Amino acid sequence: MEDSRSTPQQPETSQSQAAAPAARERRKPRVPEPPPLAPASVRLAEYEAIIGKSRLDELRFLASALSGKTVKMVNSTAVGGGVAEMLNRLVPLLGELEIKTGWEVITGGNDFFEITKAFHNALHGGEYALTAQARDVFMRHTEQNRQRMNFDEDFIVIHDPQPAGLVASKTKGSSRWIWRCHIDLSSPNTEVWNFLQPMVESYDAAVFSSPAFARQLSIPQTLFYPCIDPLSEKNKELEESHIRDVCDNFGIDRSRPIVTQISRFDRLKDPVGVIEACKMAKKYVDFQLVLAGGSASDDPEGAVVLREVMEAADEDPDIIILDLPPWSALEINALQRASTIIVQKSLKEGFGLTVTEGLWKGKPVIASAVGGIPTQVIDKLTGVLVHSVEGCAYQIRYLLTHPELGSQLGRNGREHVKENFLMTTNVQRWLLLFRLLSEGLNSASL
Amino acid sequence: MKPLGDAMSPPDHRMIRTASTPFEFKAAAHLLFIEREQARNLAELLDALLSCSEGSIFQHTFRTLEEHHFIKEGFSNDFAHWASSELGVIGLGERLASLDVREFTSLSSLRSRLIQLVKDFLARNPKARELTAENPFYFCSSKTVVLPVETRARDLPEFIDGLNHVSVHSIHYHFIEARLRRKLETNDFSLWLDKELGLSQAASLLNRIDIYTCTLEGVKRKIVHILQNATD
Repeated sequence: MEDSRSTPQQPETSQSQAAAPAARERRKPRVPEPPPLAPASVRLAEYEAIIGKSRLDELRFLASALSGKTVKMVNSTAVGGGVAEMLNRLVPLLGELEIKTGWEVITGGNDFFEITKAFHNALHGGEYALTAQARDVFMRHTEQNRQRMNFDEDFIVIHDPQPAGLVASKTKGSSRWIWRCHIDLSSPNTEVWNFLQPMVESYDAAVFSSPAFARQLSIPQTLFYPCIDPLSEKNKELEESHIRDVCDNFGIDRSRPIVTQISRFDRLKDPVGVIEACKMAKKYVDFQLVLAGGSASDDPEGAVVLREVMEAADEDPDIIILDLPPWSALEINALQRASTIIVQKSLKEGFGLTVTEGLWKGKPVIASAVGGIPTQVIDKLTGVLVHSVEGCAYQIRYLLTHPELGSQLGRNGREHVKENFLMTTNVQRWLLLFRLLSEGLNSASL
Repeated sequence: MKPLGDAMSPPDHRMIRTASTPFEFKAAAHLLFIEREQARNLAELLDALLSCSEGSIFQHTFRTLEEHHFIKEGFSNDFAHWASSELGVIGLGERLASLDVREFTSLSSLRSRLIQLVKDFLARNPKARELTAENPFYFCSSKTVVLPVETRARDLPEFIDGLNHVSVHSIHYHFIEARLRRKLETNDFSLWLDKELGLSQAASLLNRIDIYTCTLEGVKRKIVHILQNATD
């Protein structure tokens, strides 16, 4: 692979540290192990304990009509990022259901990936002047990839804009082409979108993560919510001793309530707002606040935000700030499971998978009503939605003093994730889409 | 009546009647499609309700109930939820939430009722037209694939055993969605129990289970409980 970004990021040593200066010695954690190159493979049967035999049987029945069909997934990177993480699980699971599924990664030089990165930002609404040269570079690398790859499978799934131009290889044969868009296209840069739209509309169907992220297109658009894998390091069940060790390591007192926000140090996640809310709430209730995230070490803006957060914390020993390396999935899992309440007070959000993770762990979640969060947090039913620092402070007070409501929200939240946002539901959606495309989209009936 | 704790055991019938046609359990899987219609206010909602596909009406009423099957109270359909939480029109939200999908045997009649409720509300509250939601209502539709789940029953004990094994999606398919397929104000279970096993009283009792005040698992337990006490 020529994509330099696909080289696994080498872990540096001692990046992980609790950053509250007054308590640095006490809270300096052990450095977690570096990540495996790919997640350990799991068998479909391992999900039975989570979703039940009947749901698993339904998946197998659904797949039986597709037995022997072939699928090719194409994206732009083999490691790093949510798409690669998801494909690492999805591809073997589809294979186990007798749908032979391959996964290929496009190649390109730095010039190509610089342009696709610029496209990515522009599609999120950023300023960008599309030049003839940029178009040429994009098309030249697309053409090189087209020449290198075969597209003989029954279903070709192209992920995101970088490989979108491969659809030029679509013929009048039986292959069905699907464009899976993982990004928000609600307000794209017009020039870039006008360049990509004819390619996108050459597909048989497009898949978006939210209706709010979609465009008006001439092809059918389906909705696949992002999902979490309940068997991944970040979400699997943990031994109580591991949770205890992580908390001890970070200097977190489990005999007192713990309110946690997991997110990178980014102003859009409003970590300072969370500290303000907690200071308001602490006038009435006792608890510790844990702010855990990453990106401060390799992101200059993240480092600035981390400093702002530490200033706002003002050496309060009950505010525990953890700058964790990217391979801290087990630690994050333990922190979420140790928490009394999970907060996600973002000012802007994509789907908000940290909310999904918190809900899956059966925790009451207090979250801002932005992005994909209201899809997950149905106010007062699967969690609590807030719109301000004051609202967040009040809900922390309320839930800490009404634990029975917190338990009920946590139970509902977990069920909501089980029904709609797990990897197995994602597998089901792919099977359904493949079946409906095979049989003709009008064949389905009540 | 036997206590609910016995719900997982088959009934003690001296004479077990056998059906000439077995009950074949099925389930349904649904794929969501994003439609063109969106609404930011009640006028747009009304327009969209008039023009959207029946698949959208199904998705935002019948199907959303299944997606939220674990919620015991406080959730009825997407239209009611949006009106209350996004527009803050609690009165309309309550009226929309009071719709019981089981009273409708066609999606066109359900659409008409939704339209009527919004029109009536706007007639009484003309200022509500000015309210704008921060998050629009995005119309989606769903396409359904029916799945045989290889569970069949010839008599009541087998039927109860089958109920205990199938997922809540099978319960939704036979007990709630069925009326759209059959165009009858009943469900697959009641029809079979009455016709094949002669259990008319139990069949009738099943139709009185309130699906809006318990989870679908709860509905399943109530069905089993009624059938455990069923007599010819």
